Amino acid sequence: MTSTETITTASATRTAPPTAAPAEAPRSAAGRRARRLLTGTARATAVPALSCALGIAVWYGVSYVLLSPDRRFLLPPPHDVVAHSFLDPTRIEPMLTALGVTARIAAIGFVCAALIGVGTGALMSQARWIERLLYPYAVMLQVIPVLAIVPLIGLWFGYGSSSRVIVCVMIALFPIITNTHFGLRSVDRGMHELFTLGRSSRGRRLVMLELPAALPSIFTGLRIASGQVVIGAILGDMFFARGEPGIGTLLDGYRATLRSEDLIASILLASAFGIAVFTVFTLVSRLVVGRWHSSGDHR
Amino acid sequence: MLQGVNWRAIASICMHVNTGTRLGQSDPPASITRSEITVHLVDTMHDVDAHHLTKGLQASFDHIGMRYPTGTQALDDVSLTVAEGECVAIVGPSGCGKSTLLRLAAGLEAPSTGSVALGTTSVGFVFQEPNLLPWCSVRRNVGLLAHLAKVPKAEREQRVTAALDAVGLTAFADQLPRALSGGMRMRVSLARALVLRPDMMLLDEPFGALDELTRQDMQGELLRLYESRRFTMLFVTHSVAEAVLLARRVVVMSPRPGRIAATVDIDLPYPRRPEVRFSPRYVEHVAAVADILRGVR
Ligand SMILES: Nc1ncnc2c1ncn2[C@@H]1O[C@H](COP(=O)(O)OP(=O)(O)OP(=O)(O)O)[C@@H](O)[C@H]1O
Ligand SMILES: [Mg+2]
Repeated sequence: MTSTETITTASATRTAPPTAAPAEAPRSAAGRRARRLLTGTARATAVPALSCALGIAVWYGVSYVLLSPDRRFLLPPPHDVVAHSFLDPTRIEPMLTALGVTARIAAIGFVCAALIGVGTGALMSQARWIERLLYPYAVMLQVIPVLAIVPLIGLWFGYGSSSRVIVCVMIALFPIITNTHFGLRSVDRGMHELFTLGRSSRGRRLVMLELPAALPSIFTGLRIASGQVVIGAILGDMFFARGEPGIGTLLDGYRATLRSEDLIASILLASAFGIAVFTVFTLVSRLVVGRWHSSGDHR
Repeated sequence: MLQGVNWRAIASICMHVNTGTRLGQSDPPASITRSEITVHLVDTMHDVDAHHLTKGLQASFDHIGMRYPTGTQALDDVSLTVAEGECVAIVGPSGCGKSTLLRLAAGLEAPSTGSVALGTTSVGFVFQEPNLLPWCSVRRNVGLLAHLAKVPKAEREQRVTAALDAVGLTAFADQLPRALSGGMRMRVSLARALVLRPDMMLLDEPFGALDELTRQDMQGELLRLYESRRFTMLFVTHSVAEAVLLARRVVVMSPRPGRIAATVDIDLPYPRRPEVRFSPRYVEHVAAVADILRGVR
């Protein structure tokens, strides 16, 4: 019984379009596209919102269920954080100022790391011996924990903002170098041969072929570095507290004085900043290379 | 007619030639002629010293052997000469070293043994793959080699426009390669090589990815360009019909390691119109080449 029913409905839908098609087709196609777009944006916003709500729920759970009232200061509930820190101008304002300081240092560090990193990667791609010469140092930069050389940095460059910038550069350099190098090296052999046949100079090959071809990789490196550099700046704030306080300086102070609402608020601010930077870089990368590179199709 | 060439018979003659007296002392049969189709078992033009190219010669392969670092013997003792303004087509089974031969001619690869000599430095190369810059528009891709060769901008623009017109892609000039079909991309690649107005064109299956009608259009277009500009042309193809339509000589290669099994003279006069396809003479040549090709496989 059911099976015959499904068959008839199936055949009905199969025969229906020819009669309705001419007038209906364009509008329904447009409608379908609009609906897909709507469900797409709904899905794109609904899921993160849901995950946000879930996170807050868990937070409340920990504050009220897991922690006894006398230990609640370890994780004050969300509304306390909002009321005590975010909505109190005397507390949020120094935080924002400090975040501005940190952001500036992160930006300076990022620009330096980008210039040095892309330059080094490009240099390494020019000859094997340069690669062999520089690569060990790049790897060293990556494997030595920043904490281990903090004293040295302090000794050499003082305990102010220049040392913070240096921490940023050190922590962001490796992904930029390796991704640039990889991108420049992975240009298609056929394209290289085309430039060989065109008797292209080394410089033209680099500018017209290798660098554009490496852009997707370079942007991947920059995107990773943009996240790293925020971490570096906060670490720098903590270790090199001389001069204007950054958000990391404040964090350290809140930890010492057990101001957990402010501590959590500043952590949230710092991570919001990190996310914003990362998102901006994803968008910029899509804008620059998405036009021709498939990495821009999705994500 | 050459239908039903006995390949073993040819092979034995071939061996006879190879073991016999040197070429040019035409005692043993260096070629066989049946029904006025001439099949050379060795390249009869190859009695010129490759190192002293006369004006009339544009390319010369002298006992080329090519062994890749991987150990693949791609070519073995290939000797071939191409005269100035001549169109030679190369056919042969897949993997027999046709692309390798072109790459050697272009200087992208150095032969393991033997030598290659070109009579010109102005060479246009159409790769088996389109090799376009994905971030550049069709127009900029077509102008790329001219740009590298430092052709002045105004002149370059003009040539690019003409080349785009010749391959029928004017409407797509400002699109990116990703917006083009495979066959259209190959046409961009062809236009790019033409912009330089080379003395010699090396083409590696340029029309392999095209549909039959576009393919025929492009063949007609290339024929027209060849006849008007008179460049030398070395043309690799899988299509016997295409080889016979375009070339004055068709070189048939044997499977790996690639050797020249025979060259067939196509004595259809230029200028050739695409309608030559329907002439009995053309059909006879196609049958002859196809027969030899079947024999080497
Ligand atoms: N770069 C390379 N390294 C190693 N071996 C190679 C290389 N290029 C080609 N070969 C080998 O040389 C042989 C001839 O290759 P080639 O590309 O010249 O063939 P082809 O006649 O052009 O084939 P097709 O008709 O399929 O294009 C093949 O066996 C291939 O494996
Ligand atoms: Mg090939």
